This record gives sequence, C-alpha cells and structure tokens, in this order.
Amino acid sequence: MSSSKILRTLAQAILAPLIALIVSVIVTSIVVSIAGASIGDFWDVIFTVPTHRNWVNITNQSSMLFLAALAAAIGFRMNLFNIGVEGQYTLAAFAAAAFAGAGWLPGKLNIVGALLVAMAVGAIWAGIAGVLKVTRGVSEVISTIMLNAIAGTMIGYLLNNYGNQYGQGRRTTPIPGSSQLSGWTPWSAGDGPIWTLTILAVLAGVTMSIVINRTRFGFDLRATGMNEDAAVASGVKVKRMVVISMLISGAIAGLVWMPALFGAADYYGPPFQRALGFTGIAVALLGRNRPLGIFFGAVLFAWLSEQANPLSLVADISPSVVQVTQGVVVLAVVIAYEVVRRWMAAYEQRELKQALGTEVRA
Amino acid sequence: MLPNIEEGILRRLSKIAVVAVVASLALTGCGKNDDKKGSSSGSNDVCKSAKGDGPKVGLAYDVGGRGDQSFNDSAYAGLKKAVEDLKATCVEGEASDGEAESAREDRLKNMADQGLNPIIGVGFAYSDAVNAVAPNYPKINFGVIDGFDPDDKPNANVAYLGFAENEGSYLVGVAAALKSKAGNIGFVGGVHNDLIKKFEAGYVAGAKSVKPGIKIQIKYIQESDLKGFGDPAGGKAAATAEYDAGADVVYHAAGASGSGVFDASVDAGDGKWAIGVDSDQYLTASKTQQPHILTSMLKRVDVATFNMIKSVADSSPLTSYQTYDLAHDGVGYSTSGGFVDDIKAQIDEAASKIKSGEVKVPVKPGA
Amino acid sequence: MSAAVTEGDTTAGAPSGGVVVRDILKQFPGVVANHDVNITIRPGTVHALIGENGAGKSTLMKILYGVQKPDAGTISVDGTEVTFSSPTDAIKAGIGMVFQHFMLADNLTVLENVVLGAERLHGIGDAARAEVARISDAYGFGLDPDMLVERLGVGQRQRVEILKVLYRGAKIIILDEPTAVLVPQEVDALFDNLRELRASGHTILFISHKLDEVLDIADDITVMRRGQTVGEADPKTATKKQLAELMVGSELPSPETEESTVTDHVLLALEHVGVVDDTGRPVLKDITFSIRKGEVLGIAGVEGNGQEELVETIMGMYRGTGRITLDGKDVHHWDTRDRREAGIGFIPADRHKHGLLLDAPLWENRVLGHQTRPPGSNGLFITASDAKADTERIVREYDVRTPSINTNARALSGGNQQKLIVGREMSGDPVLLIASHPTRGVDVGAQAAIWDHIKRARREGLAVLLISADLDELIGLSDTIEVILRGALVGRFDPQSVTPQELGSAMTGGGDA
Repeated sequence: MSSSKILRTLAQAILAPLIALIVSVIVTSIVVSIAGASIGDFWDVIFTVPTHRNWVNITNQSSMLFLAALAAAIGFRMNLFNIGVEGQYTLAAFAAAAFAGAGWLPGKLNIVGALLVAMAVGAIWAGIAGVLKVTRGVSEVISTIMLNAIAGTMIGYLLNNYGNQYGQGRRTTPIPGSSQLSGWTPWSAGDGPIWTLTILAVLAGVTMSIVINRTRFGFDLRATGMNEDAAVASGVKVKRMVVISMLISGAIAGLVWMPALFGAADYYGPPFQRALGFTGIAVALLGRNRPLGIFFGAVLFAWLSEQANPLSLVADISPSVVQVTQGVVVLAVVIAYEVVRRWMAAYEQRELKQALGTEVRA
Repeated sequence: MLPNIEEGILRRLSKIAVVAVVASLALTGCGKNDDKKGSSSGSNDVCKSAKGDGPKVGLAYDVGGRGDQSFNDSAYAGLKKAVEDLKATCVEGEASDGEAESAREDRLKNMADQGLNPIIGVGFAYSDAVNAVAPNYPKINFGVIDGFDPDDKPNANVAYLGFAENEGSYLVGVAAALKSKAGNIGFVGGVHNDLIKKFEAGYVAGAKSVKPGIKIQIKYIQESDLKGFGDPAGGKAAATAEYDAGADVVYHAAGASGSGVFDASVDAGDGKWAIGVDSDQYLTASKTQQPHILTSMLKRVDVATFNMIKSVADSSPLTSYQTYDLAHDGVGYSTSGGFVDDIKAQIDEAASKIKSGEVKVPVKPGA
Repeated sequence: MSAAVTEGDTTAGAPSGGVVVRDILKQFPGVVANHDVNITIRPGTVHALIGENGAGKSTLMKILYGVQKPDAGTISVDGTEVTFSSPTDAIKAGIGMVFQHFMLADNLTVLENVVLGAERLHGIGDAARAEVARISDAYGFGLDPDMLVERLGVGQRQRVEILKVLYRGAKIIILDEPTAVLVPQEVDALFDNLRELRASGHTILFISHKLDEVLDIADDITVMRRGQTVGEADPKTATKKQLAELMVGSELPSPETEESTVTDHVLLALEHVGVVDDTGRPVLKDITFSIRKGEVLGIAGVEGNGQEELVETIMGMYRGTGRITLDGKDVHHWDTRDRREAGIGFIPADRHKHGLLLDAPLWENRVLGHQTRPPGSNGLFITASDAKADTERIVREYDVRTPSINTNARALSGGNQQKLIVGREMSGDPVLLIASHPTRGVDVGAQAAIWDHIKRARREGLAVLLISADLDELIGLSDTIEVILRGALVGRFDPQSVTPQELGSAMTGGGDA
C-alpha cells in the first residue's frame, strides 16, 4: 500500500501539472496561430534563457504574486472566496505609502510602522466582508467585489484632494530616503536589485504553512473548509472562523505591494501595479491553495509575464497573448487535478477492496 | 442544521464566481488579442517594410497599442510620416494591462540595447521609466508623450512632449455653446485626474466665452481607476444622464469610453451632438454615429512624434519640456462632416485670440 | 403476523406486466446500499414502497430511473428485460420520476418548463400548448400553461412535475416522498390526481414512510429495511402497527439486556427544553428528562419528530428555551466546544455530514472534536505523533479495517467509519455519550461490536442518550425508553417489559394499538 501511496502522491504532484502544461501549450499555440503570428517565434521568446535583469524582475514579481495568492488561498481553504484581494492590497498600499511618506517615525522604524498599517488596513477592508457575511448573510463574493470598487474610488478621492501634483497625475508624498530599502544587487546595477521585502513572501509563506498545517487554528480552518457541518459538530465556531480568516487574508493582502513600495516606487501614484490581486486568485487556484504550489505558480506567472514583454519587439505578437496562456494554465490545472483525483480515488478503492477482501458486503 | 441549505447554494455560487473570474482573466487576454489581430500582425505595419537609412525609431505604446483609434494610433501616424519623409526605420513595443513598472523599464532598455534612437514612450505612464532608464544611455534621445520629469535632476537626453489640451478644448467649447439650442451642454471625463481636468477647464471657459450663462454638466466615469478610459458602457451611462438632463451637446475626454458617448448621442435622437477627442473621430465613427459628431478636439500626437523623430534626424534633438499648443499646431479642432462650417469663423477668431495671447485659457476647472 | 402480511418470500406470483425487479444488488465503495431487492408492481396500480430513512429506497429509485446502474439483478418492464444507462433510457421505457426537490425554472412558464428538454415531442408552439392543456384537463391538474412557475404554490409545482413526466409519455411514475412538502389539503388533492392517473391505466410507485397515507392510497405495499425488501402487505387488511414492525424489524437478534448499572448521580438533566425552527414552528416542546451515570436512556420515535433537534440542542448547536444541566452545571452559555471539553461524546446520525472529514486521513479525523485536548493537540499546535499513536489504538481496539491510519476516511466502508467514530467519541473519558443511530448502515459484525462498546462504557459509569430507529436496539440497550412524537415526549417505558408493538403504537400516536 505504501508504494501505491507514493505513486499516488507522485501522480498528483507531477502528472496533473504535466497534463495541464501540455494542454495549455497546445491551446496557446492555437490562439497564437489564429492571431496570425508564428508559433515558433512565440515559444522561442517565452523560453529564451532570462537575462540577469529578467531574473531580478521575475524574483520581485514572484514575491508579490505569491503574497496575493497566499491571501486568497487562506480564504479558499475554508471555502471563503475573498475576491477582494485586489481592493485590499490597493488600499493598504495607498495607506502604507501615505503613512511612510509622512515620516512620523525615523528610519527603519518607519518601515515597520508602514507594514503594520498595511496589514491593518488590508485586514479591516477584508474584515468588513467577513462581518457582513456572519451578521447579515451577505456573500463575501459580492461584498468583496463591491469593496474593490469602493477602495478604488476612495483612493481617487483622497489623492485628488490631498495628493501631490505629479506630472499629469497625483501621488502620495515620497517616503524619506532613510526609510527606503536599496535591496540586494546580485549582478550589475543596471540589472537592478532584488527588493529587500521580497523576504516578506518567504516569511508569510512559512508562517502560513505552519499555521494551516500544524496549529489547532489551522485544523479548524481546514475542517471548516472540508466539511462545515462536521466542523460545527466538533465545536468550531464557524462565524468567528470566517471573520478571523478574512482578517488574516486581508492582512496578508495588505503586504502585497510592500516589496515594491520600499524597494522601488517610494510613493503611491500612477505607476502603481494593478491587477496583482486578481492574478493572485488565479495563482492560488493554480497552486491548489498550498504554499509550495503557490510558490511554483507565482514563479510561472512571473516568468510568463516577464518573458512576454519583448514579444511585440521581437516576434510582433501582442504581449496580451500571454494572459491567455495564464488563464488557460489555471483552467487546465483545475481540470487536470480533478481528473487525476478521480482516477486515483477509483484506483485506491480497487486496491482497498483487494487488500481487505470482500468484507464490504453487509 | 436548517440554515445550511442556503449556505450550500451560496457556496456553489461562489465557486461559479471564481470560475468566472478565472475565465475573465483568460478572456481579457483574448479580447485584446482579437483587437490587435488586424494591425499587429498584418502586413500594413510600416515598420515591417521600412528599409530606409534614416533614424531608427523605438516607439513604446501604452495599453491598447496600435489599433486603439486614438492616442496610440495617432503616434503611429507620426511614425509613418517619419518613415515616408525621413526614411526612418522602426521597432514597436506595447504595454499590457496591469504590467509592472519594471516591464516598462525593460521595454525601453531592450530598445536602447538595440541601438534605437530616438525612443518614444507614448503616454505619461512612461515618465518614471524613462527617467530611470535615460541616464544609462546618454547617447540616446528619449521622448515621452504627455510626459514630465519626476525628479529635480534634469535629463539632457529626454524631451517631455506636452499638449495644451485646454486650448483645443476651449475651441470645441466655443463650438458647443454656439450649436446648443438648449443652453445646456455636457462633459464626460474618463478619469478624474489632473490631465482630464485640463480638458474640462478649457471646454468650460470656451463655452462661457460665448454664452456666459450656459449650463454645463460635468461627469467623470472613474475617480482614479484608469479603466475609465476603456469603459464604453460607463461612458454611455454618463452621457445619457446628461442628455436626459437637457444637454444637447456632450464633449468627451474618455479615450475608448467615448464610443459609448457617441452611442448615447444616437439614442438621444436628432439634434443631439457629441464631440470627439484626440483624433478626428468622425472618420472612425460608424455611419449611424457620424451625423451626431459635431467636431473633435485634435491632440496632434502625430505631430509631436514626428517632430521628435525629425529633431533627431536633424541632429538637434528636442529636450526638456515641449508644449504643443495652438500656436505650434499641437491642438485644434476637426471639420469633417461639415457641421461646424457655419460657425467656423467664430471658432477661428477664438483661436487667433489665444494665439495672440489676448485670451488665456485656464488649466484647472473653476479658475 | 397477520395473514395479510407475508414476510420474506416476495418472489411469489407471476408478473403480468408492470415492473418487476429481481435480486437487485448495488454496492457503493464500502457500503451495500441494496441487496436482494425484489418488487413486483402490477400495472395500473399504486404501489407503495416504505421503509425508514436509509433503508435503501432512494438507491432503488435511482436504479429504476437509470441514474445508477445495479451491480447485479434484473429489471423488467411489461415482461421485457431492460437496462438503463441514463434517465433517458428510463423515459423511453415509459418510466418517469418526480423528485422530492422540484426541478423547475422559476422564471419560466408552466408550458416552458414542461417543454424544456422535450422540444422534439410536440415542438414549442401551439401543438405543445395543446398537449399540455390536454393532460392538465384529463387528470384535473387545473394548470394554466402560461402561468410563471414562481407564482405557483407547492402543490401546483408538484403537478407541473407530474405533468412533465406525463408529457414525455411516462406510463410508470415514481414519486419520491411526494407528500413530505405538502399540507393535508394538498395531500388530498394529490391523491385525487393519483387516482385519476390510476384509472387511466398509469402505474404509480409511491415512496413514503408515512403509514397513514400509504394505507390510504396504495393497492400494494412493499417494505424495505437495511437495503433489502423484507415483506409485502395488503393495505386492505394490514395495520399501521404491522407495517411499523416490518419497517423497524423485530426478528433480528436482540442485544442482550444486562444487569442495571444505574446510579443515583444525575449527569444530564433537561428541564422544559423547547426549540423553534427558523419559521417559528416549534420542533421541541417542553422536554424534561434526566440521565444518571451508568444509565442508557433510549429515545424512540419515527424519524423527523425532533430527535435531531434534541441532540443538537444538547450539543449546543441549537439554542432553545428551558434549562440543561451537565453534572449539575447549567450549560446554557456553553458553546459546542465547551460542552465537548466537559466530556460529551457525540456519535451523529449522519456520519458523513456531521462526523467525518472524508478527505482527511484517519488520524486527522481522530483529532476532530478533540482539537483542544490531548492527544489531538496541546491547545495551540496539533500533536500529530500523539494523535497518530492514539489512532493506532482505536484501529486496534475497535477493529477498524484500514490499510493505514494515513488512509483518507472516504476510502473506508461505512461500518469501519462508524467504528472509528465510536472509538473516537469513547476516547478521552467521556461522561456522557450521545449516540444517534450508532449502528445505522453498518454490517452485523460491526453492529455487535458497537453494542458491546456501549455496554462496557455503561458499566464503567457512562451516561448514554441513545437515539435509534431500531426498536430491538433500543430495547436491548436502554435502561429507560422515552417516546418522542412531534417534538414532545409522549410516553415512558421500561424496556424489560415493553414490546416493539407497544413502542410502535406510541410512536405513531397510539392510532390502532
């Protein structure tokens, strides 16, 4: 049995992603050829060995995608669909940038303060949806989508009225130099630094991995996700769990843009990178809501986005095509896992029958 | 457990919603791609056939790229002219939605590494990226349409190509006020930022210069989210509200959302006008929309693009702030359709007053 | 046994058409849902299929309607043997089904709902409308084809469902507990419709556990218990009491009654406990009883009379009025976890719904319900190695047949899942065990083992609240039996002297005892 268990784990771990990858390569190739471009050129660009500069960018982007996906995954693990990571990280990024820009705290303390502000703002924004769900029965899908829109409008209002003029747009006050983090430059300066706060992704990943898999809280969370009725009967207070998970999910979402804020941007303004929250949801699905899976998913997505950039320069293909690839990968993974899971379940059942004889008959 | 039936349904709904989110992620890509089909891969791309010995131009488009019938296409028109008149060759890049700042920098670096000169970023979003990249390539000249210098350190090899949109808007404001029978006109902005407020300010000033008591309705589609420039449904809703409230001319500064404004003018019926923006939108509008497009405020991105390339070809590259105003033929209004022929004299009179400095057009609303 | 009830030999009598089901066997992974199922449905009759929840009625229905395929056995329709691989095949053979939960689109009209999916028969135009109107008139349904379904009442919606299967040409109509959702007047109307259908030559298979209704409408009755058909009855002569006996069974080997171990120490006391459901309807009324250490209190009752609510109220999943004390302490403000920590073990009626994480390994299921206590956790972290060691113990002591404690619970058979739950709930020195149908759906061997465990715990001073549909189990294990009917306790019996017949009569309201 143990060998079949290993086989099963292997199949789940390798077979499903492999099937998914092959399917998405085929589908993307079809899309590329329908768009009238060369399939060979496309994959050539995507699979070019990344330059140093690309590696730095892939690392930085992966860290932010990982945090966004982790935030979404916390909720998914207990069937809470926090679609609002987008709004949570945007609002948190704005609040943290404004806080750090004000420079109330000296030097590095300012960074710690800003991180706490970001987590608090993200948590509160997500918490609203959690509280609405347990007190009023509002689906968190609906409320978080609405909160996304409210966050965008609110930031616009605040920037327009209190932001600094910045070219044709507005921004928050840049954070003082003493509170900026130069990051680690593995190669030449021209290739850019890996941001210091990418470490947040590692810390959050390890912490969440332990919390979910090893603690009582994590057990309650997973139990609620697997079988809410059984969780209730086992003594889990589901309403409280809903609020706490939303708070945690939102707090992690709050951290999403922090690596970029202190590593590169120094302010919240027009170059702010949108859509990380939505992409994070896709990455969470891709990684099956497990931190390790999410890690691979985030690297894959970051790789695709980064490599797609020269598409229009080199192969005359719109880089948007790569978003098709990303979407297809997610769908293919979800489907492939389900297929492999069913196949494995049937296989296990057969093995069990053989191993235990015909005891099944009443 | 009685309450669980409902929750079960909700959970299923949630799952459906997530699938929808994923699907839409896939579909946004799809949509974009379809838009691009005709242009990006088609043989009509001038960069594919260009074989001259003139300047080697790098043109980095904003989101939407070539084929947006607006800003990016206008830049392409300038590039095409450069290829024809200056024997230029070219390479094009395009931004994707929600991309990282590093992706923009990367695009410019890739172009610089290929030895292109000049390199032009289309859209103010390239300002930071150019500022970060330009110092590393002192021999290459950069231009940013609508751009600005983000810090105090001036770059000797960067030109910021700005436009006096307020002046062009003033002229169509004059046209709107003259054409309005109801004494009630409207404005629809895509995003409530300083750039679009400049359009609003000029339009209001122009209209009031003709009819001081005119009623002007102002609406914005989005407060800060740039998707206000790509939301035809939002544009239609805003414009419809203004027509319903009595406006008979509506001017939009909302990018691709403008097609919704045109639709609203068609729905509002005969005698209701819409005014286009950036390029002569009468030419790209549908047959049913055309009778409603009074004029368009022209923002000559093509002129700015061509001038930038020409300056490099002439070995006297443009640097620092360049303002394309009425006097420099950087903004204007279109006459296609012939609907403003009867008031052309009055509009041109307003234009000459601005050129002579007799009239100063405000850049901020309420000024 | 009365002459009208023939137990066992259901194969007697030559089929003259209609539906004949022979020796159906259906196994799900680890569970036998149907075996030795034999039914002969005469054409042009209303045939009732009765049995407790979980007796295998639904599985049989799904087999007849082609939703599931039997592992063995045959089905014949009008003398021809048939095999269904989908409901489409069943419909072709003239079998239609009306589910308990209606499958109608609210925002479509009656006509659209009926035609949906059957557009080929009469198109979607006037021909279809005429056909719908014709059927509606013929059987007195009184449905307006153009009425939106969302504006119809429950009884009318049910008639739309019946109309749907008639429209598709069904001659044999299966109705799954059709009266469960109806008020008495609607039941009468439904029965009038059914009689019309029977008069016009349709055959109806009527599934229910409401004995009054069955006796009222049926021409023949088949009884199912524990996955098999156990007898037939003639409604003209059979009594409710006899049917109840057949349903709950009284021929199985009884668990032996043992010497009383009841002490004077009251462990659980309920005083005037009442609960209302979401709609304000009372589901528990003025419940008062107490259980002492070493005592097993059995609750007898037809399912759906408040047993679930009673259990969940004691577990803290429902809040009611009245007072509940555990070992003298008022537990009103305790939540479920507090109550579990105080030593309440809970074997739920539906183990898949309330008792297990099917996709988690056995050792994690061992932790479930004990998240706050050793060996499952130290309060903050899950102590996996301790939990695994204790799971090994349960697997050993309770004879849980599993390849490993890392196997997912889903892979185990029902009996082994139940033994795991019993082992878990007996762990950690419980003072009170709430056992809801502890041996339902488990095989005979596991049943005896679970009985032994409950008896042993009782000897050691455990207080047990036992809820069961199996009267023999109740009589054999309990020190006292209370009968619950419509949310109230209506009778108290001494298991030493009571008979299943007396209990059955009390459970049905004393009708014809």
